[in-house]
Amino acid sequence: MKIKLRKYKPARAAVILAAAMMLTTACGEGGGGSNTNVSAATVPAGQEASVQPSASPASAPAESVDELYAKAKEEGKVVVYSTSGRANDAAETFMKQYPGIKVEVSKLKSDQILDKVMKEQDAGQFNPDVIVTKEVSGAVEAEMVDQGRYTKYLPEDIAPKVDEPYRTEAEAYANYVEFRTIFYNAKHYAQVPITNWWDLTTPEFKGKVYTADPLSSPAFMDLFTTMVINSDDMAAAYKEKFGKDIELHGTENAGYEFIKELFDNGLIVLKGSDDVLDAIGKADSDALGLAVSGDVSKNEEKGWSIQPIYDIKPKTSVPDSGYLFIAEKAPHEAAAKLFIRWMMGETDGKGEGLAPFNEVGSWVPRSDVQTKNDIPYEDLNLWLFDGDALYNTAPKVRDFWIKQK
Amino acid sequence: MSKKQTLALRRTRLYNLSMNWLRNPVHLIGIAAILFLAYMIAWPVLKIAYTTFVWQQQDVRLTGEANPGHFTLYHWTRVLGSDMSVSLFYKPIMNSLAVGAAVSALSMVLGCGLAWLVTRTNIPLKKTITFLAVIPYLLPAWILSQAWLTFFKNGKIGGTPGILQSLLHVAPPDWISYGFVPIVFSLSMHDSVFFFLIVGAALSSMNSQLEEAASVAGARRLTVLRKIVFPLVMPSMLSGFILIFTKAISSYGVPALLGSPVNFYMISTMLYSSMRSRLTTEANVLSLALILISVATIYLNQRVAGSRRSYVTVTGKDSARTLTELGRWKYPAAGAAAVLMAMIAVVPLLVLLLQSFMLKEGQYHISNLTMHYWWGGSDPDINTGEKGVLRNDTFMLAIKNSLFIAAASAVLSAVIGLILGYVVSRGKHSWIGRVVDQASFLPYLIPGVSLAAIYISMFAKPALLIPALYGTITLLILITVVKELPFTVKAGSASMMQIGKELEEAAQVGGASWFARFRRILLPLNRKSLMSAFLLVFIGAMKEMELIIMLVTPRTETLTTLTFYYAEKGYEQLTNVILMIIIAIVIAVYLIAVKWGKADLTQGIGGS
Repeated sequence: MKIKLRKYKPARAAVILAAAMMLTTACGEGGGGSNTNVSAATVPAGQEASVQPSASPASAPAESVDELYAKAKEEGKVVVYSTSGRANDAAETFMKQYPGIKVEVSKLKSDQILDKVMKEQDAGQFNPDVIVTKEVSGAVEAEMVDQGRYTKYLPEDIAPKVDEPYRTEAEAYANYVEFRTIFYNAKHYAQVPITNWWDLTTPEFKGKVYTADPLSSPAFMDLFTTMVINSDDMAAAYKEKFGKDIELHGTENAGYEFIKELFDNGLIVLKGSDDVLDAIGKADSDALGLAVSGDVSKNEEKGWSIQPIYDIKPKTSVPDSGYLFIAEKAPHEAAAKLFIRWMMGETDGKGEGLAPFNEVGSWVPRSDVQTKNDIPYEDLNLWLFDGDALYNTAPKVRDFWIKQK
Repeated sequence: MSKKQTLALRRTRLYNLSMNWLRNPVHLIGIAAILFLAYMIAWPVLKIAYTTFVWQQQDVRLTGEANPGHFTLYHWTRVLGSDMSVSLFYKPIMNSLAVGAAVSALSMVLGCGLAWLVTRTNIPLKKTITFLAVIPYLLPAWILSQAWLTFFKNGKIGGTPGILQSLLHVAPPDWISYGFVPIVFSLSMHDSVFFFLIVGAALSSMNSQLEEAASVAGARRLTVLRKIVFPLVMPSMLSGFILIFTKAISSYGVPALLGSPVNFYMISTMLYSSMRSRLTTEANVLSLALILISVATIYLNQRVAGSRRSYVTVTGKDSARTLTELGRWKYPAAGAAAVLMAMIAVVPLLVLLLQSFMLKEGQYHISNLTMHYWWGGSDPDINTGEKGVLRNDTFMLAIKNSLFIAAASAVLSAVIGLILGYVVSRGKHSWIGRVVDQASFLPYLIPGVSLAAIYISMFAKPALLIPALYGTITLLILITVVKELPFTVKAGSASMMQIGKELEEAAQVGGASWFARFRRILLPLNRKSLMSAFLLVFIGAMKEMELIIMLVTPRTETLTTLTFYYAEKGYEQLTNVILMIIIAIVIAVYLIAVKWGKADLTQGIGGS
């Protein structure tokens, strides 16, 4: 008997378990056949996309604030999924301004919000009203906006004051724009130490360049991917710096070549933006670090002495926008619109809800809002955020990055 | 006999046979357990596996060949046999295996050594040592790696140099500061408590007459250890080994922090990266690779454990335990253990506590001390006006939710673990036991994030008499229970393995139902293990984050999601305040559990 039983191997066990599984799930799955696909990237054509047309006009008709408030009070609350804690700050002032409406904010990373909302909606649960999110290398546009899961909302009375591309060209209005750029230690350097991205590949900065890990932060990868997409710009900047045409060492173009030479020059990868700024900003240091522009506002709190560089050749960076969306079938739609208006700073851009977003290192792309930065948004030398190109190129650049190890 | 009669007779026999088979509680409970595990674990794993063989929409980004919805082996060949494989898979997997093996070995030495000292010798300060030994586990593992960096950081990652470099003016080499060595140390400090608890429980329920008999027969102390003690605790040690091995290879925070400066990647860090880059299928292939390793590990374990006789050491009668005399080593041993434990347990804790009172980080003078982060009002100059933790309404909601989730899942997990452990140990030689054993182990290998993602779609709608659970605390409890199964079932079966069948058989002869036997005999005899399991799950649940963050809605906010929010905003002091509160709660529960279960836990893991 014992010998016979010995034959039961894990493989066999797995089969039994699988069979039992079929048994248990056969009835449960009856109705919901469509969501068996774990990573349902897109909805089968025409299924959900037709529910709410994604081709929304540039701006929504202006419902008056009073109208919205009256409806919103009936709804009683608004549920926000936000990648930024600033939504929480806006929520506090909102609830004072519009009593009777409770704001519930869940804070998650952009890709997690994307997964969560997709799964929820596929299962027929429509929980969030407002989405405050960054892009995930174009995935938000391709997998959510184009599918009608996130809808753009830009009231007619605010639209004329919004800077492009956020008025008509971008996937939605962005309440604040940040970007990745090079920081230096202001105690060590009296003036900006570099003016060209290729400076980082020179012997002067060997082993002295830090970056947050693009493998765990898509936004950092987006900057490198944008360099690959705009490799002609990178090649031109190389020529400007070294006075000769770029020579590729087995790479496809100047963008990839830059990444390769960065690694060859001893690039040090740290976990996050804060680690990078700790590294260069805590003690006197001649090293440089790639981090988020908005982090400059943490200088005092963290005891750093860091400054961002706002003019690098060929372009300083690529924008990382904090988009505002209304979720598909938002259960509290009026309240959602009212809250988004609040975060936008209302019609005149002076509303208190905007305050948390209008900070040093981040820009509000509204012509009627005074920035706290020395440089106005229009004067920033940024590449265009090309969601489509990023979505298709990012995985290849990620592969290239991984192969450098 | 007519054909008809024969058939009827056969049918009756078959009926009787199957009724008999089902009447065996191991079978009945086993079947129920398998159905439960199938739905909660196997189904998600199969779903994950399924996606790896189908072209996804996102794949269009990687290759022009992609044909969404159709069968493909592309994902597997990309990971296992392409020009990416070395960097994407083979190097990380070698790193993972090396870390897993080293962490298990080091934790085993630490945990078992300590457990032996505390349970089987006359070492003084037992309670203190026990208490200190549990503390590193109360801290998130990344705090220990942060502490490591504070001491051993060299110039490579910039910032303030480590204490060692400041004192000696010599930079520690990279291999001490980053990568394999510190990852192994940080994880081992954190995880050796599993060995300590599991092996400690087994050691203390061991009948010391066996050792005495051997001594009387003239065996030397080492021989006794090797020939008697070691084989007896072997099953528990193997359990611990596997648990820690798999825990280590799937850990994320520590390798991410200490590995990236020297390009040391593990499967877990690669997997997280794939997920964040929306390469879900690649992430699924990597998770399956982890799952396969675990199945292989369990298989090996069964080969090793299965070839040994099982040892029954607890019978009805209690026996006086005699402790090994340490002689002149008594005080040095206690001192060394206490000092070592204090170094790794208390120092990081005090640093955190101190930091929560500092207005500005890193400025060590009295004027910088403040209570602001504990119960200060809103001050626009500090953290953009974020109130002190104790004045924050969200905190009150979060603490209520956290306590409820942790307590409920700990109780449920402990009991379920024991019941499944019963099936595993009693059904050791039947397929039911093996299936339960293996299936209950899988959750640890499914990354929390992917398990949670699948649970959203599984429980967003009513199915199988289960109402829609999404957005409820119940779902958070359920996923915690499932995720902790590997620990609770292993602990349960290791503990059940020690209990002889005779007691149950006697009760059965006396007419006791299975339920009565379980309640009157098995529960009390397993109280130590139950308490250990309760504590482990409670602690785990209080700290759990990755697993639940996707499932949390604003109303089901917990302490850890609040910590996450503060940490992301860079409010380090507020983060530390919440961490201190979490740790305080866990220590309080620990002490209550020890006091309440005086007869068991204190003696189980030492005491006097």
